[in-house]
Amino acid sequence: MTIPKLTTSDQLIGAALCVGYVMVLVWTAPDLTMSRDESFYAHAAKDYGAWVAELLNNPASALSREHIDRAWDYNWEHPAWMKLTFAWGWLVHQKLGVFSSESLAFRFPGMLTAGLLLWLIYAWGAVTMGRRGALFAALAFAMLPRVFYHSHLAAFDVPIAFFTTLTAYAYWRALSDRRWALFAGLFFGFALATKHNSWMLPGIFLIHYLWVRRQYALADRLDRPTVSWLPSMLVLGPIVLIATWPWVWHHTSSRLLAYAQFHLRHVHYTYEYLGVSYFEPPFPISVPFVMTLFTVPLTIVVLALIGLVYRRAVLAPPWKTKRGNATDTKADVLWLGCLAAPLLAIALPSSPVFGGTKHWITAYPFLALFAGWGFVAVVGLATHTLSAQRRWPAWAFAALCLAPGLAQTAHSHPFGLSHYTPIAGGVPGAADLGMNRQFWGFTTGSLADWLVETLPDGGTVWTCDTTWGAWKMMQADQRLPSNIRPARSMAQADLVLVHHEPHFNEVDFQAWMAFDDVQPMYVLTYDGVPIISVYQDRR
Amino acid sequence: MEDPGRKSSLAAWVWVLVAAVAVFELVAHPVIRAGVPSGDLWEDAAAFVRERFEPTDRIVAAPRWVDPIVRSYLGDLLSARSASVSDLAGVGRVWEVGVRGATRRSESPALEESFGGVRVRMWPVVTDELLFDFVEEIDRAEVDLFTEEGIQLCPWMQAKVRGGGLGHGPLPPPQRFVCDPARPWLWVGATVMADLDLEPRRCVWQHPAGREPVRATFRDVPFGDKLVAHGGLDYNNERTAGNIAVRLRIFIDDRLAGEMRHQDRDGWSRLEIDTTRLNGTTHQVRIETTAAKSHARTFCWSASTRRGQGER
Repeated sequence: MTIPKLTTSDQLIGAALCVGYVMVLVWTAPDLTMSRDESFYAHAAKDYGAWVAELLNNPASALSREHIDRAWDYNWEHPAWMKLTFAWGWLVHQKLGVFSSESLAFRFPGMLTAGLLLWLIYAWGAVTMGRRGALFAALAFAMLPRVFYHSHLAAFDVPIAFFTTLTAYAYWRALSDRRWALFAGLFFGFALATKHNSWMLPGIFLIHYLWVRRQYALADRLDRPTVSWLPSMLVLGPIVLIATWPWVWHHTSSRLLAYAQFHLRHVHYTYEYLGVSYFEPPFPISVPFVMTLFTVPLTIVVLALIGLVYRRAVLAPPWKTKRGNATDTKADVLWLGCLAAPLLAIALPSSPVFGGTKHWITAYPFLALFAGWGFVAVVGLATHTLSAQRRWPAWAFAALCLAPGLAQTAHSHPFGLSHYTPIAGGVPGAADLGMNRQFWGFTTGSLADWLVETLPDGGTVWTCDTTWGAWKMMQADQRLPSNIRPARSMAQADLVLVHHEPHFNEVDFQAWMAFDDVQPMYVLTYDGVPIISVYQDRR
Repeated sequence: MEDPGRKSSLAAWVWVLVAAVAVFELVAHPVIRAGVPSGDLWEDAAAFVRERFEPTDRIVAAPRWVDPIVRSYLGDLLSARSASVSDLAGVGRVWEVGVRGATRRSESPALEESFGGVRVRMWPVVTDELLFDFVEEIDRAEVDLFTEEGIQLCPWMQAKVRGGGLGHGPLPPPQRFVCDPARPWLWVGATVMADLDLEPRRCVWQHPAGREPVRATFRDVPFGDKLVAHGGLDYNNERTAGNIAVRLRIFIDDRLAGEMRHQDRDGWSRLEIDTTRLNGTTHQVRIETTAAKSHARTFCWSASTRRGQGER
């Protein structure tokens, strides 16, 4: 099978999507306080960055086991690749001051992966469904509210979505062009070195490969796809993982085992879903599907379903293939695998209780690609009714279909994780339904100006789910003055923050006891739904 | 027989369906936002309640998730007790301040007023007369730890309030009975705890020390026709389904009058003791907690003596 080459125009469109998205992310990032996990990764990145600096100045010392262990011990439960890029962002910022804030220095590499992911979605879409569908898919992905939130962060979720998609693309290319096998292995290595979601990729690829091989065999095709991607992934993947993660350079097997066990026996988070705060398995099977329905604009969900129906012939199982049938390397089957696997993994009753859409965010590039097919299908079917001779009706239709995502994404900022789409009744409807309100304590950023105004002479704040690292980053970013300090003990603070989630109710009641007062001084709301209550010591 | 031409012509109109979905989203989004009451409307509703509020009234929010907003406007009328009662005993009227048409009571209210999207409703309620609230009178109690070596008194003292945070359980009050400084959880005092349903419960923290009872003794307690107690564990422990039961035993004049055996996941549980024969008299009441093992037995109780047959 010959895959069409991307034209220069296509590359320019992809690059424009990438640069444009990164610019929007940089512009909107100051509104978002560092989330809980980001603050841990920024801490780790500083440790790793200091080690990198030592490596450049005194390699022998840096490479000693003691120095490696000291620098890489923190946050050993996640591989190092993205944290290394955050460290580079920070080192560059330290030397050159190129970023407008310290948090942006850590976040920029993650933003870059978000931009590159748009480029990749566009590129893959362009070679399979043409420019129009590809552009629609990339823009649809960019305008998913939760994706937009996660794209800002110095975290691993959008980066793993990028590396998953990139590895899948390289694998798919490798089926018909052996030279891509090397890239498949290399990119898989970076996926492994980014987050453990990557562990499922070989399984998805193997199923897809056997599917395609069977079809080729039944069709009596002689030019069967190569399996060279598999040894490449099996060899290069672990090499890249280990090479980018000095923590496992010593005690390699035991530390890798500990890493695997950490995630296979992951603690359960408490997560509210349809009025129940789950804290132990089984988590309802419906979670990833309902959360997708409630957080992805409905128009995109509908178009993705139309895209799946439209491509049903291509998605037909291999045993329906007849001798002499035309067949190819089935990008759609691969996309369906990459879309379904993360959702099903979370849906398994034995999976740890997570809940956040970020845990299956790797599915969404493929959801967007199917939405691209859906758009192509609808426009194609409407040739009689949408005036096929003119381009503008199709573009207008695209704009109409993308407008809900744009409006919802714009409105979701900076409350990304608290946002729900109209099918859930919006934010208040989701509160009625008992859906998770937030996590990670990131909403404190929306209080920064109020805190400055309320504590003009400084004071102490008990920061609830916002970590001290995140708080200090707000100070480093000059969103808060240094004299508004985090308090260790609630009763000794001037102000107490309570991030509203049902299982944080106990913290609310602690605040009542701390100040002998049940009246919040201020309630930060989003579409009328309480996000943070602030209590003041009025005694 | 199916007409392929008709099928394809129908498919050609799929775009209308998709466009309709997009329009629905575009319209629904601002409509939902427009339905959110402004601060002024909340102010007006709060002023309406405030003008008519009486000390025995209770204010509730509907739906429950607007509770922080309601408390931000009317919280000065509430105490920790009135915000976290176990039932309606002693309450004269219930005010409900709500949005989105939500309500916590099914019957028609005696008074209803709407302020844009904020609705105020009021119901007079017939409830038990509250004679003695053990939680609010805890500072009058004597607390001791009954050990093999004898009785160890737990002094009432001003102690530092530290900590707070997820999974830490209820915050102790600044004044409490401290039984053993080496075991910081071994104190007795009034606090607010999250129960299994994450509801606030004003209660006396009386963490069992093991098989040897922690005892709170109240003298001259006025009696009506019943003594009602509630008890439960802190949410973090209640939800885990361990197998160590907590026993709450209530003695009136040194005679066992009632007992609650509380297992994890029982939730906030009720015990009612008929005291009709004691109606109008005063007695000593001793409340004991024990458990086979003390680990994570974060027990808290509330109790009161009452008269009447009101609604809960």
